[in-house]
Amino acid sequence: MTQRHRRQFLRDLGLSAAALPFLAGLPSIGLGGVGGSNRRQRFIVFFSPNGTLPDEFWPKAYGAEIPLQLSAMLSPLQPFAERMLILKGVHNQILGDGDNHMRGMSCLLTATELSPGNIQGGGETPAGWSSGPSIDQHVKNFWQSQGETNTRFGSLEFGVAVPNRADPWTRMCYAGANRPVAPVDDPKLMFNKLYGGAQQRQLVGSVLDMVKDDLRRAEQRLSREDRRLLDEHLHSVRQLEQDIAAANSQAELVHPEPEIDPTIELINDNTPQISRMQIDLMVNALANDMSRVASIQYMRSVGEARMRWLGVEEGHHSLSHEPDNNEAAYEKLKRINTWFAGELAYLAERLASTPEPGGDGTLLDHTQIIWVNELGKGNSHTLSDIPFLLLGGGAGFKTNRALDFGGVPHNRLWLALAQAFGETGLQTFGSVKYCDNGPLNLA
Amino acid sequence: MRFRSSFRWGAFSARVAGALIMSLWLVADSVGQAPVEDGARIYQQKCASCHGEQGQGVAGVYDAAIFGERSIAELTRLIERTMPEGEPEACVAEEAALVARYIHQEFYSPAARIRKGLDQPLQVELSRLTVPQYRNAVADLLAYFTPAPSQPKADDVEPGLRGAYFASEGMSKANKLIDTRVDRRLRFDFGDTVPFEGLPKEQFAIVWDGSLLAEHTGEYHLRVKTPNGARVYLNLDPTSGLHKLRDDSAAAGQFPLIDAWVGSGTEREETARVFLLGGRRYPLRVEFFKYQEPTASLLVEWKPPHGVWSVLDSAHLSTATVGRTFVVDVGFPADDRSLGFERGAAISPDWYAAVTNGAVSAAEEVVNRLPLLSGVPPLSKEQASDQAAHETRVQKLQDFVVRVATIAFRRPLSEEETQLLRTRPFANHTQPEAAVRQAMVWILCSPSFVYSEMPGAKVDDAANSDTSGLPSSVVANRLALTLWDSIPDAELWSSVEANDLTSTANIEKHVWRMINDGRTRHKMRGFFQRWLMLEQRDLTKDAALFPGFDEAVIADWRRSLELFIEHVVWSDSSDYRQLLTSEELWLNSRLRQHMLESGSASASVVAQDSAMSELEPEAFSPSILETDRRAGVLTHPYLLSALAYHNNTSPIHRGVFVTRNVLGRALRSPPVAIAFENDEFPADLTMRQKVAHLTQDASCLSCHTIINPLGFALEKFDAVGRWRETEGERPIDTHSEYETEDGEVVSIGSARDIARLALQSPASQRVFVAQLFQHLTKQTPASYGPEVLANLVESFEQDQYHIQRLMVRIAVLAATHQATQKVSNTR
Repeated sequence: MTQRHRRQFLRDLGLSAAALPFLAGLPSIGLGGVGGSNRRQRFIVFFSPNGTLPDEFWPKAYGAEIPLQLSAMLSPLQPFAERMLILKGVHNQILGDGDNHMRGMSCLLTATELSPGNIQGGGETPAGWSSGPSIDQHVKNFWQSQGETNTRFGSLEFGVAVPNRADPWTRMCYAGANRPVAPVDDPKLMFNKLYGGAQQRQLVGSVLDMVKDDLRRAEQRLSREDRRLLDEHLHSVRQLEQDIAAANSQAELVHPEPEIDPTIELINDNTPQISRMQIDLMVNALANDMSRVASIQYMRSVGEARMRWLGVEEGHHSLSHEPDNNEAAYEKLKRINTWFAGELAYLAERLASTPEPGGDGTLLDHTQIIWVNELGKGNSHTLSDIPFLLLGGGAGFKTNRALDFGGVPHNRLWLALAQAFGETGLQTFGSVKYCDNGPLNLA
Repeated sequence: MRFRSSFRWGAFSARVAGALIMSLWLVADSVGQAPVEDGARIYQQKCASCHGEQGQGVAGVYDAAIFGERSIAELTRLIERTMPEGEPEACVAEEAALVARYIHQEFYSPAARIRKGLDQPLQVELSRLTVPQYRNAVADLLAYFTPAPSQPKADDVEPGLRGAYFASEGMSKANKLIDTRVDRRLRFDFGDTVPFEGLPKEQFAIVWDGSLLAEHTGEYHLRVKTPNGARVYLNLDPTSGLHKLRDDSAAAGQFPLIDAWVGSGTEREETARVFLLGGRRYPLRVEFFKYQEPTASLLVEWKPPHGVWSVLDSAHLSTATVGRTFVVDVGFPADDRSLGFERGAAISPDWYAAVTNGAVSAAEEVVNRLPLLSGVPPLSKEQASDQAAHETRVQKLQDFVVRVATIAFRRPLSEEETQLLRTRPFANHTQPEAAVRQAMVWILCSPSFVYSEMPGAKVDDAANSDTSGLPSSVVANRLALTLWDSIPDAELWSSVEANDLTSTANIEKHVWRMINDGRTRHKMRGFFQRWLMLEQRDLTKDAALFPGFDEAVIADWRRSLELFIEHVVWSDSSDYRQLLTSEELWLNSRLRQHMLESGSASASVVAQDSAMSELEPEAFSPSILETDRRAGVLTHPYLLSALAYHNNTSPIHRGVFVTRNVLGRALRSPPVAIAFENDEFPADLTMRQKVAHLTQDASCLSCHTIINPLGFALEKFDAVGRWRETEGERPIDTHSEYETEDGEVVSIGSARDIARLALQSPASQRVFVAQLFQHLTKQTPASYGPEVLANLVESFEQDQYHIQRLMVRIAVLAATHQATQKVSNTR
């Protein structure tokens, strides 16, 4: 979408650029006063499905002192290589009910077993929801429980092309046992959630003049007695006008809300535009401190997105099943994962170009992104060597390197993040038996 | 005896007070053509010294002016029995009739008072839509543009939901259709077996489709219990196409109200809440599957307003398919009730803010479903850059907006309005959807939508008016508001377009069609709620005194009362008298058990009636448990319990209700407020003795001589409405002498006596007719003319007290009423 179009959409929403300083934000926006020792931290989970291509993803060299070398597939991320940390040898070791896609998805962020259930995957036993909360929700709960880190939403769950149904393949975030959190995959709904009050006020405000004209026309036909009601009506309209003006001036956004095409259809072919809108909304919400935890989920485990915008006609999941020696499929999967890397790079770029409100540096300096996938490799369905890629300075980890842990449970990665986010006393996360030796050392 | 004698004194004092209240028995007007001058002469001789030349009263003698709604016959009776004060025999027979006719025509009747300039005539007031009217109008505006889903033939519509039973194969839940059947209630326990031969025990799926009837407006809670997988879709859009039943396929644009699809190895319970408008059916779909779990069961329950959790049952389920109804669920401030009925008499900023919120949510719904509602598809990819295609689409959407405004405003638009709608929103937006959104908000905030009727609204097609000069669109609008609290439907509009709402016969034809609609039933439910003062009653009783009278029994009694009333109103005879005399009680299995346990019914009667309740325990059927005791609504346990204390009866509450709402007698507010403190009385007194003692002051007695006998007559029904012979150990005396409105003293001692009084009293019918009129039109009858009420009461009697005919008369009268010319230009 061109810039001009976007501005037009903005105007269609009743949100003209001139009005931006007056658009309502919310009381949680007290951006000036963050000083002190507690720097603001943020946490973003970025998910893409169906495994990666290990030979294309993993760097050639590992070690604390070796600068990170990115493969061609990850080339869009090259500008951020110095701010990245790639972790090999970190496995999702959770066993129990459910096939690898289900456990890959629903145990990825929860690091605990699935409840027994009635959903049959491709083989193995049927299963239900995760039996515990996910790391993003855990961090959210911790930050929400602290006065200083509390925000209006606590966390925001974005989706891109996530199908409209709830099962262990479509949910990675859990508020608790058997309590999946649905990602919002419609930018319009997310926009309404974030800025709906202001949008509605603008819309109502835009018709009040016309309504006043209607009332004046009606008045001429009324008897004196009947005008009493009309006067009350006119008074109410004026009151509403004043309320709107007052609400609009009450809270101002530090960052004007992004531009969303209100008419975009949630169809496969619009995925690239939807992805960018969701990222814009996410960065904006973080910049305005509406939330400090966010996740963005592309499609779902076993997702069959047809990425025609990349010249790929086949479904993603079917392609991921092809053997490594199917060169055509291999090349397409490379294109697909490069596209995901590009979306991640766009997110990083948006964060890097947004100054940290009331603080030093940029949003990216204070945000920890982690790119996750439910499988290590698509055609083997392995849950080993999940391609974990950390980006940004939120957790304070040492970057510009790749580390190979040689086969440790991923519970320890989530422990490391939780501790880096301030929960220093936390000893276990998820299934206790995978937490021996404590958090991974990433400092 | 002391109590009895105090009664006589009270009756006497009431007469001394000279309170002109009401009258009994219709007497033929025997005065014939006697000249009015005779009446005038007698009045001056025998009445004017107390009542004044024009009935205005005489200071220090009898202050109050005399006027009211009584007929000449009723006045005649009253004068014969009570006037002149102290020597009623001085004005009887023909003289009484002459005086009655004289005062009626000179200053007593509403018509006379307006004629003589004593009162100002009332007018139908400009009003806005009431809150229910606003919600219904928005719902029906969108429904007007919603294509109807394909409907099974009327004969095929059955109570229950149509269930399709599938054999599953792994992820493919609806793999093979094995059989279909109609299930009357959504409670299934298949154990480890299958509902149908041919279904695999390990894995099968069931899809139920149909609709759910919401009888009341309010919050509905739904609940699913299953160890397997289930989803509930309520108020879905059946026209948008439903998904294949697979584990891994997406539902197209449908959001389940309850999603319990994924199991967790144990039985789960999921609940949800939804706000629905009463008197409507909502599309309902329930999906269920079993996969390898040891057992299969499903329970779908709901908790409707005034109800308790209960299985979705055949009384509320239907295989009929209906379209989605958009419901505005924003909160509104309550409507004005200062006159005793809800009306749109005031506009507050809160109300207006709610209206705009509702408009925004409705506009959102319209934009989301724009292709379906407007019939205008989005531009295809190829057309995206085609300017001509874009302009054609914009024109079609402008047409759509103009049609929406026409339906919303309930009249043809003026040229100016059409132009404004086509230009103003569309000039500001390149996205036509954004223009439609703004236009919708404008339409729904416009006075033409939110006011019941804009007087003198200029209609361009002047030909479109009936003989009385009223445009057909005005008639249609009034009919829809009166009968449905909503806007005209497509059938009314076709009559508007054909301009055939021009004769009473044509209008009546529509009215008879319209009253069979669920919205009319809902509106009538609201009327009876008001007439019987059922709103916001707390029926909770002392559990030790009334074991078993729990929340569920209370909810059942309420439904029993509603079913009884609906059975009467919507039967062919639709006879008001049945409401006061029927001995039937509607019972389900729980109420039968309750009556049996409390000794109010014999086991044999209960057994006889409960044959079918094995299968559907929530189903109600009429029973006569006792003979010569019950008298319709007067003795319905819900009403008797509502009008009682938590631990005892309350003859005063019951008496006041009967006095005001059943017998139509006016009561003043108590001069002093006295709380009834049961504990302050010696334990060996009966309730009657306590009440008589409490109200023995002269200031109380002027009203309590009326209230108490009526309350005492119901004393053989305890605080939960069961029959009793004694109060504790003490016998119950229900007999009293009661002075009727026209001064006759009669002996009464039972509910059936009260019913007889009511059926003989024009005042009784008058209060019923007046309240129904107010409820339907949101105006007082007098606004339509001083004689409207009297005429309606008279025709009610001629119609054999046919309630539906009364509704038809009120609707036709309101629809065709022509206001006398208001001064429209004060400048």
